[in-house]
Amino acid sequence: MTRRTFARAAEIAAFLLPFAAFWVIFRAGPVLYGIFISLYRWDPLGENTFIALRNYLDLARDARFWNALVNTLEFAVLTVPLILGLGLAFAALVFSHRHRRAMRWVEAGLFFPYLLTVSIVALIWRWLLDPDFGIVLLLLRDAGLHPPVFLNEPRWVIPAIAFATAWWLAGYRMVLFRAAMEDIPDELYEAARLDGAGAWRIYFAITLPLLRPAILFALVLTTISGFIVFGQVLIMTGGGPGRASEVLALYMYRYGFEFLEMGRAAAVGVILFVIILGLTLVSFRWLGSEAEL
Amino acid sequence: MRLRHRGVIGVLAAAVALALLWLVPVLWMALTGVKPAPEIFALPPHWLPHAPTPAHVRTVLTTWPFPRWVVNSVIVAGVTTALSVVVSIPAAFAFARLRWRGRDALFLVFLSSLLIPLEVNAIPLYFLMNRLHLLNTYAAVFLPMIGMPIGVFLLRQFYLNIPFELDDAARVDGCGNLRIIWHVILPLSRPALAALVIYMFIFAWNEFFWSMIALQSPRMFTLPIGLRAMQGAYDIEYGIMMAGATLASLPALVVFLLLQRSIIRGIAMTAHR
Amino acid sequence: MEWWESLKEARVKRRQVLQAAAGAAALAALSPVRVASVLAQARVLTLDYFTLFHSGDAAAMDRIVRAFNEANTTVKLNLLQGQWAEYYAQLFAAVGAGNAPQIGICHSSRVMDVYRALTPLEESRAGNLLESGGIRPAEYARSVWTSGVYQGKRYLVPLDSHMWGFWYNKDLFRRAGLDPEKPPETREEFERAADAIKSRTNAFAFHPAEDALGRKIRRAWEIFFWGQGAELLTPDGRRAAFNNERGLAALDYLVGMIHRKGWNQPGTDGFKQFAAGQLGMLLAGNWYFPTAKASGVNFGFHYVPKFFERPTTWGDSHNLMIPRQRPDRVTDEMLVASIKAIKWINQHSDLWGIYGGHIPAYLPALQSPALRASDTWKIALTKFADMANRGYVHYPLVHPLAPQVHAAIEPHIQEAYNGRVPPKDALARAEAEVNRVLST
Repeated sequence: MTRRTFARAAEIAAFLLPFAAFWVIFRAGPVLYGIFISLYRWDPLGENTFIALRNYLDLARDARFWNALVNTLEFAVLTVPLILGLGLAFAALVFSHRHRRAMRWVEAGLFFPYLLTVSIVALIWRWLLDPDFGIVLLLLRDAGLHPPVFLNEPRWVIPAIAFATAWWLAGYRMVLFRAAMEDIPDELYEAARLDGAGAWRIYFAITLPLLRPAILFALVLTTISGFIVFGQVLIMTGGGPGRASEVLALYMYRYGFEFLEMGRAAAVGVILFVIILGLTLVSFRWLGSEAEL
Repeated sequence: MRLRHRGVIGVLAAAVALALLWLVPVLWMALTGVKPAPEIFALPPHWLPHAPTPAHVRTVLTTWPFPRWVVNSVIVAGVTTALSVVVSIPAAFAFARLRWRGRDALFLVFLSSLLIPLEVNAIPLYFLMNRLHLLNTYAAVFLPMIGMPIGVFLLRQFYLNIPFELDDAARVDGCGNLRIIWHVILPLSRPALAALVIYMFIFAWNEFFWSMIALQSPRMFTLPIGLRAMQGAYDIEYGIMMAGATLASLPALVVFLLLQRSIIRGIAMTAHR
Repeated sequence: MEWWESLKEARVKRRQVLQAAAGAAALAALSPVRVASVLAQARVLTLDYFTLFHSGDAAAMDRIVRAFNEANTTVKLNLLQGQWAEYYAQLFAAVGAGNAPQIGICHSSRVMDVYRALTPLEESRAGNLLESGGIRPAEYARSVWTSGVYQGKRYLVPLDSHMWGFWYNKDLFRRAGLDPEKPPETREEFERAADAIKSRTNAFAFHPAEDALGRKIRRAWEIFFWGQGAELLTPDGRRAAFNNERGLAALDYLVGMIHRKGWNQPGTDGFKQFAAGQLGMLLAGNWYFPTAKASGVNFGFHYVPKFFERPTTWGDSHNLMIPRQRPDRVTDEMLVASIKAIKWINQHSDLWGIYGGHIPAYLPALQSPALRASDTWKIALTKFADMANRGYVHYPLVHPLAPQVHAAIEPHIQEAYNGRVPPKDALARAEAEVNRVLST
């Protein structure tokens, strides 16, 4: 190598090194370390025993693990239509009159919950859904309905948490969709309007198709973040009633930090990693051309 | 003509009503925080407090190091954002503006971890931070977040859209890459940097799972974790919890009222390709 | 040439930023332990004291520690109050990492699985700490004192006893036609009272378990189960022993209260209902006293009624302990200071009784005039202490795998309580899961 190419290579390495160092030490390295930990039975005060894939076998035989996986899937699947649906609806609303001052405030109001931390969101909704004093239930009862105690019914608890999550995050999606809508050239809208198309037709024939990349990207993002849901579940129900809302991240946390079975918890982490990496790669393939990644 | 005007007013009114309805949970939280306990549990519910009290707020502030939590959050979010920006800029530049062998392959490797959250690394990170004696320190929380490739991704996307002729012109003038970054790229990438700063700050401020594991003493908690500790401790006392939650929302509220346009614009920027 | 100038400026600024960042990083890396050792060198000994208390308990312990720090000039306690579910896990991790607190809390029921993280007090590297601290067995309640030993070694110094008691709303009693000064003591009296409250007032009649948490509902079931003289596991601790007529009778009774008698609804929080004046009778721990008092409800307190063969209530004890310490980080002097601080806390545990509602295990504190004159004592504590003396209190399962056994039982009991699963099936499933846990 000539001195010049070496100098060039060194410069590129220098540019990459700070980021790469953090990435290797704190993102990539821990993945490998996690796999390593998952092959042992760990004991903070004594000897660690190598047990190869026993942790994974124990997980496969643990009904509680499968329960957590199913709950997680249910949650991830439910949040997608809720967050995307509300996000698109709000974006269409805000976009339609986007030059009005009032609509800017509407967008701000719908967006605000995103800035709250998960603890606040979960506390608010736990209080709103309290069996005896929560105003959501009280209002529904006043309206003559017989609402279930959402957070105490196995069939309703995950949809309820999903709804609270949508309340929290839909505003963020709304802003992203609204921005993507603004990227659509005005000429397309003009042409359609000249052709006599109404607002709904324009929305379905032009806006939605052109938003497809953004919607698909949002779909992937929402699904993946649904897989690691933790804070809301911990604070709203602690995984209850029974184990009806115990999700994978909570299962991992419990096994790691309540039962001190670190090897098993690390195995759950590895499984989560594999699932999410799989989803990522599949979606890059699928969206790669569309989302111009 | 008049019909369309009425239609617009109708839509706007409905939209405003929707936004207000959407914010009712936040209002209800704040109102509960100032009601004395008997009013909180009154049936039928008191929509507005008859005898508002600062007692819950006082309890929160005297029993817990609340201001300290805000400071901790500011430090963690601030350092994460600052360092993230600092390391992302040269890396993004190398990926966007320079040509070298293996560039796209390496970028894909980093990119594949874009969507992988911190949570999957929680157990090994815990062990690692324990080894490094960094548990219960700010470093334990901000170090892993700086390794997130979102900054490199966003900035590279933006840099790709800056005309390459500017680089060439500067090189002809004898500038090295560092100067190009400093004098050409940075001044032009202010919107992207703003977007990245907003995104990372919000992300780091609200980070929960890993912070909960890494921070163990109440004086080190960030705001979300401190609030969770309060909830664990006071799960009977809704007045105190709601007062605490309201206080915890104040930083976000203040920043939002002041910078709402910039924040929304910054977020929107990440969507524009 | 301006470009060269500005580049130099940039280099200087960058160096300053890097230095500041390095300084910040170094500062951030200073853990509390290092700060503690730095302070120790300044001839004031700072000891880390890490508890699992929350709410009223935490406030009460905070008082005691503040009094300690005001009274002592050479030793300071650095109090950290943690979270319930993760306390023991954090303790183990801290001991493993060598930076455990110098003083901690341990339930009597947990000594069997936590002892490995604790310093044996009579055989520490600083000698017999019980002697150095002046801890005398005769000064402690006997049952709690004996619970602090495992495999012949003493690990724990008793702090308190706590248990569930019977709280009732005197106004609701009057409205239901019951005598507010004659709370129920037998099963028939109790059921009559509950039915009366249900039919004559629009409040809930009874909540058996504080709130809706799985572990609380399990405790309610255990009260009914133990009251028949039964135990959760076989004497060798190898298999479940609750899936039988006694377990079923207990669970049927518990579930029937909600679903047949309608005395309450599943998923509700008894603490809040009672504080709102919406609940006639409640089984809850002695720590409920400050909340009950602050709620303004006209409440009374009594012994837990005899639901089955013998009156039984759930209870446990808190103990103070010294986690295992690393010799190079914690000196013998600090160990002795820790045991002396423990004794000090015991001597002032009348505050623990008055403000935390617990029964001090240290007899001089139990007999302190301040405690005896307090409302807490007059209304509730004297009956709590009496229940302890009469032997009503039953400790939770003492077993190395107790947390896992409880975690295996709780969801099923909760599902039966919620009406999702018939009690017979719930017990069968719980038994299967417990046996699986015990066999690994």
